[in-house]
Amino acid sequence: MDGPVWLTGIFAALMLTVAVYCAGRLAVTRRWRRPTELDTDAGHVLMGAAMAGMLVARLRVLPAATWEAVFAVGAAWFAWQLLKSRRRAPATWRCLHPAPHLLECGAMLYMFLVLPPLTGPAAASGIAGMGASATGSRYSFLALVMGLFMVGYVARTADRLPSGRTADRLPGARTANRLPGGPVAQSNLPARPYLAPRCAALCKIAMGLTMTYMLVLTL
Amino acid sequence: MSQSLAVRDPVGRPAAAHEPVAALDPRRMLQLALGALWLLDGMLQFQPAMFGKGFPQMLAGSAPGNPALVARPISWSAAFIGHHVVVLNAIFAAIQLLLGLGIAWRPTVRLALAGSVLWSLAVWWLGEGLGGVLAGTASPVDGAPGAVVLYGLLAVLLWPADRDPADRAPADRAPADRAPADRAPAAPFVAARAVGRRIAQASWLAVWLGLAVLALLPASRAIGRAIADTTPGEPAWLAWIDTHAASALTRHGLLAAIVLAAAFVIVAVGTFLPRRPARAAIILAVVVAAVLWLAQGLGGILTGSATDPNTGPLLALLALAFWPLSAPARSAGET
Repeated sequence: MDGPVWLTGIFAALMLTVAVYCAGRLAVTRRWRRPTELDTDAGHVLMGAAMAGMLVARLRVLPAATWEAVFAVGAAWFAWQLLKSRRRAPATWRCLHPAPHLLECGAMLYMFLVLPPLTGPAAASGIAGMGASATGSRYSFLALVMGLFMVGYVARTADRLPSGRTADRLPGARTANRLPGGPVAQSNLPARPYLAPRCAALCKIAMGLTMTYMLVLTL
Repeated sequence: MSQSLAVRDPVGRPAAAHEPVAALDPRRMLQLALGALWLLDGMLQFQPAMFGKGFPQMLAGSAPGNPALVARPISWSAAFIGHHVVVLNAIFAAIQLLLGLGIAWRPTVRLALAGSVLWSLAVWWLGEGLGGVLAGTASPVDGAPGAVVLYGLLAVLLWPADRDPADRAPADRAPADRAPADRAPAAPFVAARAVGRRIAQASWLAVWLGLAVLALLPASRAIGRAIADTTPGEPAWLAWIDTHAASALTRHGLLAAIVLAAAFVIVAVGTFLPRRPARAAIILAVVVAAVLWLAQGLGGILTGSATDPNTGPLLALLALAFWPLSAPARSAGET
């Protein structure tokens, strides 16, 4: 019961695009002095690379055990941020909402743990060649719960996605640099507008949809 | 606070700069839930099994028993899809994804809801054979009257319009309507806001009384067998639940059908009751929907061959749209 390889190829290409784009965000945020959520972008770089490797075996760059360790650390980080966010507000370079990213790391761990090692014929087609019988497990209910959470997260992120007109009205979108007193004088506005907020949201949507697709394949 | 889009981060970073946080009113929450279900449907449609011959065979299987006028287009479309299954299935999945994203993104919510109605009607006919209602094989445990028609109904009931000015956001009201800004909404529940109380209640009655009638049909009395049919391919824990439920109900099919029908009738009349018993009826509706979903094997999602989560989650979502409101139902950023 092989899935279409072209479909997993499209999702893999999407994930690589997200990974490269988020790496670019990390590279320019300091140079342009534009704030971004460093932990979210770094997480998307890692997840994008790992998911592309799961979808298309030829794109694997690290063994599964290494990725498991990486996402265990990521889950611990976002869990810590979640606990801290209850007590005080996060710094500007950390994400405001760690819970979805904690679940993303958990979903990555789940997929790496539940999927058998890609060897033999399955290796050529990646996750598409696994089929339900190979991946089905007693924990598939977990995949369903995480998938439901992910589609909800995608819907909520799309709900917050500003349209062009709305984005222009947002504090910090364009006004900060034009204020005569300068951004620092305006305590309610950021020193610099946030780096490409719509693209960041689109990355989250793409990541959430691809992760849901992969979780559905493990049901 | 009526049009506030931003919630500020205490450290000075405006959340709005990257995530405009709009407070959600109950209708918007339900719209997002509907959008999320469409997204899930799209992803289920991308499953490997849907790109094979099994998918058109499943569609063709809904034709037998229906009148020729209904059955012929089903058979024709199933044969057509069978010839181009890979391309057409990818298009179907993409349509459902776009419907979900369209509902979730505020500028396109009306377009996507209108598309939901059209798409759900088409799929109800050509994909589900009108839920087997005309074939005499429809059973609530099997998913009658069809999950997809409930998507269409929800799209209508959650349409972002308000018949009564009191239900609109304060900034959207005409000046003459602004004085009683803090009075309770005219609509008693979210589903009545766009179409009015009577039409909403009529649709509620049609759904739940229809389910009661279907539960009493001869085809529905074999509840145990219907539940047992869902077990192949299920994970062990779910198969265990369904197998035990099936064996318990096999000898008491008629009694179970009567109890189920009675529960449907109680739920059906619930929205006509005062607020407190109405809320109890809505809670009963959610519980019945959850039990149905379990009996449906969670819609077969865990078997890798489901195209939607079946009627359970949709009935629960419909019930929430009829939850009696006590306070002003809207807040900032509503759609």
